[in-house]
Amino acid sequence: MDNTNCILLRFGELFLKGGNRAYFESVLIKNIKSALKGFKFKFVKSQGRYYIEEFPNEDLEEIISLLTKVFGLYSLSPAYKIKTDIEEIKKLAVKISPAEGKFRVTVNRADASVNMRSMDIARDIGAEMFMSSNRLTVDLFNYDFELSVDMRENGFSYVFYKKIACAGGLPYGTGGRAVLLLSGGIDSPVSAYQMAKRGVIIHAVHYHSFPYTSELALQKVHDIAKKLAPYIPDMRLTVVPFTDIQTEIHKNCPSDFMITIMRRFMMRIAERVAKENGAGALITGESLGQVASQTIESINCTNAVVSLPVFRPLIGMDKEDIIAIAKKIDTYEISIRPHQDCCTVFLPKNPVIHPKLKDAEVYESKLDITALEDSALQKS
Amino acid sequence: MIFLDNASTTKCSDSALKVLSAFSCENFYNPSAMYKNGATVKNEIENAREGILKLLKGDGGIVFTSGGTESNNLALFGAKKANGSRIIVSDLEHSAVYYPAKRLKELGYEVVFCPIDENGAVIFDEFKKLLTNKTALISVVHVSNETGAVNDIKKLCAEAKKINPNVIFHSDGTQAFGKIPINLRSLGVDMYSVSAHKVYSAKGTGALFVKKGIQLMPLLFGGGQESGVRSGTENVGGIMAFSCSAHETVALLKENAELASKLKSSILSQILEYSEIKILSPENGSPYILSLTSNAVRGEVMQHALESRGILIGTGSACASNKQTRRVPDALKLKGEYQYGIMRISFGAQNTIEEIGEFIKEFKSTYEELRKIKNG
Repeated sequence: MDNTNCILLRFGELFLKGGNRAYFESVLIKNIKSALKGFKFKFVKSQGRYYIEEFPNEDLEEIISLLTKVFGLYSLSPAYKIKTDIEEIKKLAVKISPAEGKFRVTVNRADASVNMRSMDIARDIGAEMFMSSNRLTVDLFNYDFELSVDMRENGFSYVFYKKIACAGGLPYGTGGRAVLLLSGGIDSPVSAYQMAKRGVIIHAVHYHSFPYTSELALQKVHDIAKKLAPYIPDMRLTVVPFTDIQTEIHKNCPSDFMITIMRRFMMRIAERVAKENGAGALITGESLGQVASQTIESINCTNAVVSLPVFRPLIGMDKEDIIAIAKKIDTYEISIRPHQDCCTVFLPKNPVIHPKLKDAEVYESKLDITALEDSALQKS
Repeated sequence: MIFLDNASTTKCSDSALKVLSAFSCENFYNPSAMYKNGATVKNEIENAREGILKLLKGDGGIVFTSGGTESNNLALFGAKKANGSRIIVSDLEHSAVYYPAKRLKELGYEVVFCPIDENGAVIFDEFKKLLTNKTALISVVHVSNETGAVNDIKKLCAEAKKINPNVIFHSDGTQAFGKIPINLRSLGVDMYSVSAHKVYSAKGTGALFVKKGIQLMPLLFGGGQESGVRSGTENVGGIMAFSCSAHETVALLKENAELASKLKSSILSQILEYSEIKILSPENGSPYILSLTSNAVRGEVMQHALESRGILIGTGSACASNKQTRRVPDALKLKGEYQYGIMRISFGAQNTIEEIGEFIKEFKSTYEELRKIKNG
C-alpha cells in the first residue's frame, strides 16, 4: 500500500512578482485551502514550497486531483515525510523507487545538524538503490526518474520521485474581474478557463431565449459552471432574457444583419453588467474566422459598441486545439449536447460575413436600444 | 400542470404504487431463494406472468425485462437467424428497434427498411416487395409512437409467413398494449414487446411475449432467471406493479379509448382552422396520439412556450444540428420547415375534457403569437 503521507507543492511564476509576492501567495494559499475544503489536512508553508500533510491516506488521490486544478501551482509530488536518518532514508528510497530504469538522486540539505555533504548523501542513497536491483542504472543527465530528498531544518526529510504537473498560471483572483459571454457551446467555457488561468475572476453572462431555447439549454450553462468550479470557484452567472430583443431585431432589421446586431446587443449588455459589478474587461470565445460573426469586419462591428477592453483568448486557436482544452477541463461533453442555444433559432440562411459598421448602425437605429436593454437587464 | 405527453410515459397509479411498495418493503425476498418466503414471491411472479399472458391472449411465454427497449433488443438480437439473412423493419420504428436493426446491419445481416405512408403506417405493397424466402426476422411497430398509426400486423404477418413460414415476426406493442384491443393469437406474431410505464406503472419493467417454439439467445448471462433468457434478480416490485396496472388498464380499455377519442377530436376540430398545420396522425389511428406539424412554428418552441403556461406536450424533436433526430421527419417525407414543426399531443386516462379546453385556449394564443413573430 502506498503510504505517501504528504504532498509537496511547487509554484513558479510567483517569483516574478517582486513586491506583490506576499499578496499572490496569500491568495494562492487561500485557494489551496478552499479547494480542499471538507478534507482533513494540515497546510505547511516552507521556503519556496508548500506541503499538505496529515490527511487520511485514502484521500490522497482526490486531494491530488483537486490540487492539480488550482491555478498558480506548477507541479506537485506525493512525498514521504520521515525523521531525518540517513539509514532510514536509504531503506525508504529502495522501497518506493521503480525497480528499473535510469535514475539520479538529488539531496537538498537545509538541516545543518546532518554531518555530511549533500553530494555524499546522494551518492550513498544512490549506491543503496543501485545495489537493490540489477535493472537500475545511474545517469545524472538522461534519467527516467529523479529521487529527491529534502532535508528540512525541523529534523524531517521529504522523499519523493513522482512529479505531477498542475494547472500553472496565476492564482485565481489576482487578475481582476471580467465579464464572460457564456453560451452553451464549446468555445466560451475554454475562454473562461484561459482567462481564469491568468488570475481573472469570471462573471458569466448568458443570454436565454425562452421559448426558442429550452430550460435544458439553461441547465447546460449551469452544468458547465459546475464543471469549471475546480478552476473557477463560485462563478457568478447572470442570465439575461434575450427573446424580446431578438424578436425586435427580427422584425425591424434585415435578416443577414440579425447576428451582427444581436451580438452588438450582447456586448453592450455584457458591458453594462461589467460596469455594475466592478469588472474591467469583457471576455468572448471568438476565434477568428470560425463563423460569420467572427471575421475581422464582424468583430469590428461588435467591438465598436463597447469601451472596455475585450479579451479573446481563443482568437488565434484552431477548433481542434480548443476542443482539446474543452476535453481536458471536461466541459466538452456538456457543450455538445444537442440543445439549441440562442444563436441558432433566428439564424439567417446567409449571414453577412463582412458587415460594414455604418450599415449595422443604420439598421439598428430603428430600435429603441436602451429601452430593450433596460427591460432585459431588469428581468435578469 | 396539464400533462399531454402520455406516449412518453404515464403517471404511476395509486394501486400500482401500493403493490410496488408492498413487494419492495414487505415481500421483498429474492424469488430464487430456497426458503419459503422466496418461493412465495416466485409464485406471485408466475401468477403475474400468466395474467399478462392472458391479457395479451397469446400462446407462449412472457420474459420480464427492464422495459420496452430491452424487450425490443432481446427480440432482435436474441431471435435465431442465419448469418447474413434478411431482416425487415419499418422506416418508422422506435429507436429501440431502429438502432438494433442498424447494428445488425453492421454485423453483416441484410437489413432492409420498409417505407411508410404519410401517416406513418407501413405500405403493404412495399412490404410485400421486400419479402423473400430468406427473410429471417421482421419487426413492425403495432402502434406508431410518432403518429399513432396502427399497422395491420395480422395482414403483414400472414403475408410474410406465406412467403417464408419460418420467418420470425416481432411487433413493438409499447403504444398498443392497454390502448387498443390485442389478441396475439389472432395477430399471429412470434414476439411482442410491452412496457409497464406506458400503462400507469413504474419505470424499469417491461415484457417480451415469446410464442411457443420460438427460441431466444439471451443478452444477459448470469443466474439463469426467466428460464435462462434474461438473467438478473427479478424486478419483483416492478413486475407486480406492472401486472396490477396492466389488468386495471385493460379492464378500462374501452372506456379510456372513448375518452381519448373525445379529447383528440375536440382538439382536431379546433386546430383545423390553421391551414398550414398538417395532421400527421391518421383518422383510424390510436385515439391516444395526435401528431401534427407546422411550417410556421417549430415544435420545440411550441413545447417550451406551452411549458411556461403549465402544459407539457411532446415534439418530433427534430434539430437541424442533430442528424439522428432527422430520421422521423425524413421517413414521413416532410419537407422544409415542416421537418421541425412536429408536435405530439398524447392522452392518458387521467386527462379531462376541461384540461383539453384549457389546452386549446393556450395552444391557440401561443401558436398565433409565435406564428406572428416568425412571419415578422
